[in-house]
Amino acid sequence: MKGDQLTTWSINEIFAEILRVWTTQLLTLRTLEHLYMFAVALFFSVLAGVLIGVLTYRNPRFADPIFNGLNIVETIPDVALLVLLLPVFGIGKGPTIVASILYSILPIARNTYTGLSNVPGQYLEIAEAMGLTRREILFEVRFPLSLPLIAGGIRIAVVFTMGVVTLGGLIAAGGLGAALQNGIQLYDMGTILVTGTWVGILAVFLDGAAGAIEHILQVRYGKWS
Amino acid sequence: MISRKLFERIKFLRLENVTKRYGENFAVRNLNLEIQGGEVLILIGKSGSGKTTALRMMNRLIEPDSGSISINGVDISKFDPILLRRNIGYVIQNIGLLPHLRVSGNIGLIPKLEGWKDERIREAVRDLLNFVSLPPQIFMDRYPHELSGGQQQRVGLARAMVMNPPLFLMDEPFGALDSLLRAQLQDEFYRIKRELGRTIVFVTHDINEAFRLGDRIAIIDNAEVVQVGTPQELIFSPATELVAEIVDSKRKYRHIDALKVKDLAQPLDKRYILDPCLSAASALDHMSAEGLEIALVFKSPGSAGRVGLSDVMKTASSGKSLEEALKPLPLFSPETSLLEALLRLKANGESMGLVLEDDKPEKVLFSDRILQNLV
Repeated sequence: MKGDQLTTWSINEIFAEILRVWTTQLLTLRTLEHLYMFAVALFFSVLAGVLIGVLTYRNPRFADPIFNGLNIVETIPDVALLVLLLPVFGIGKGPTIVASILYSILPIARNTYTGLSNVPGQYLEIAEAMGLTRREILFEVRFPLSLPLIAGGIRIAVVFTMGVVTLGGLIAAGGLGAALQNGIQLYDMGTILVTGTWVGILAVFLDGAAGAIEHILQVRYGKWS
Repeated sequence: MISRKLFERIKFLRLENVTKRYGENFAVRNLNLEIQGGEVLILIGKSGSGKTTALRMMNRLIEPDSGSISINGVDISKFDPILLRRNIGYVIQNIGLLPHLRVSGNIGLIPKLEGWKDERIREAVRDLLNFVSLPPQIFMDRYPHELSGGQQQRVGLARAMVMNPPLFLMDEPFGALDSLLRAQLQDEFYRIKRELGRTIVFVTHDINEAFRLGDRIAIIDNAEVVQVGTPQELIFSPATELVAEIVDSKRKYRHIDALKVKDLAQPLDKRYILDPCLSAASALDHMSAEGLEIALVFKSPGSAGRVGLSDVMKTASSGKSLEEALKPLPLFSPETSLLEALLRLKANGESMGLVLEDDKPEKVLFSDRILQNLV
């Protein structure tokens, strides 16, 4: 029976299976593609998110409409978003990266906005009284004190991006999602399990790294004594 | 932005008919006040009396609705507020050290924005830390949360001094400290005031602090100045009932014969007591660990002394014993009469004494607390 077979697999057989999947599915290449899309998407998400956060902080009357808009994007299921982008961006890496960015802007922008707007008043008072200009207060006081919160937003974005990039396999974006698709289409349980586990390990590792950075920033900038 | 000095020294700072309202309420109403160059002027009043509003108008954190504020005859509304503030030192109660910057970063923030060279900033930070009795090699690279309350307050003062301003505005700078530390910092403030000879406007609600530090005191109530004068003028010719109540002139000299040390002594926090057998180095460790700025040493029922943190540091680095750093402290029994205690404090030039019960140090007596209750 198949089940018995699974339990009696030796370590060697498991390694052989992993090796088979890794070579037939070109997982080294797929992983590089995956991380490339992830990095590009995250880079632009952070750039756009922080920019929108700063803009809404400086013009609070835009905050509500912008965050409502981003919230609507957030509620569209990710598969549907990929499909909606098809007419404009076609298939492949482009629309996958665009969808990732659209998803990840909200947590970063919202945390940036919240962080900048909620710096404790005593620090702002003393900065103003010392003779800092508005711009200097933004860069020397508000921004550094918001870094732990912004990092928290980026950490959420890391998880979102990982998910959407994997889904990109559906629209020929390549990456590990493509290997998963192959596995599903061929009903090759080994490919599904090995690739799925590998994506999971990557996601947990990246989230952990983001968490560690968040923790460091928390210790460095977050001690509001 | 490279700022220039707006004024080398303050000849006078004048508030004329200054009014500020919030809705129907006056925060400050027709306030007239002249602060002379080189003096410490205390603004005292209950909370909500308008004293902090008045202070914050002097560096344009708040703009008056009407009236004018001028320094050396020039209306301050003609100055760029940023430039004005960089020419005025500002210290507040909760200190507001920026938590993400080290001590050197906090003190050197404005110089950095002014484009000073790193070397010059470090030099200035080092000098200022020495001036406020914090050894730079120990404190320069610490973060604010690694400092005790008193140390933070000193860094706040150093930060206010970095641009060498001729005018300081201070809003209850010692308000959040415990009474022993407060007395120590007030002593140091007094020294700094004499050494610097700057003009200082100082807000407090503690009349005892006002008498101790102020050259003149302005009593503010209900958004208006009630009386301005030296401590003696306020005590001996209070303008209104309220002034009399604040300075407590009715009680002057009245109870001095009746009161004993135990009536005014305050409980002593045992953390402040050091074992006389300690070496200066281990005393330093203990004080650093507990965040103490000052400690008391009790040797025998006939002998006790006090040491400040900076003295212990000097003694420890020169390898001498703790004994060398001790300043003798007057000892009292709870039954000593207050008059005698006061005379002995004055003879020793001390502001505090130790009260023994059953030959153990249990309480402390502050001279200003006696004065506060008698005058």
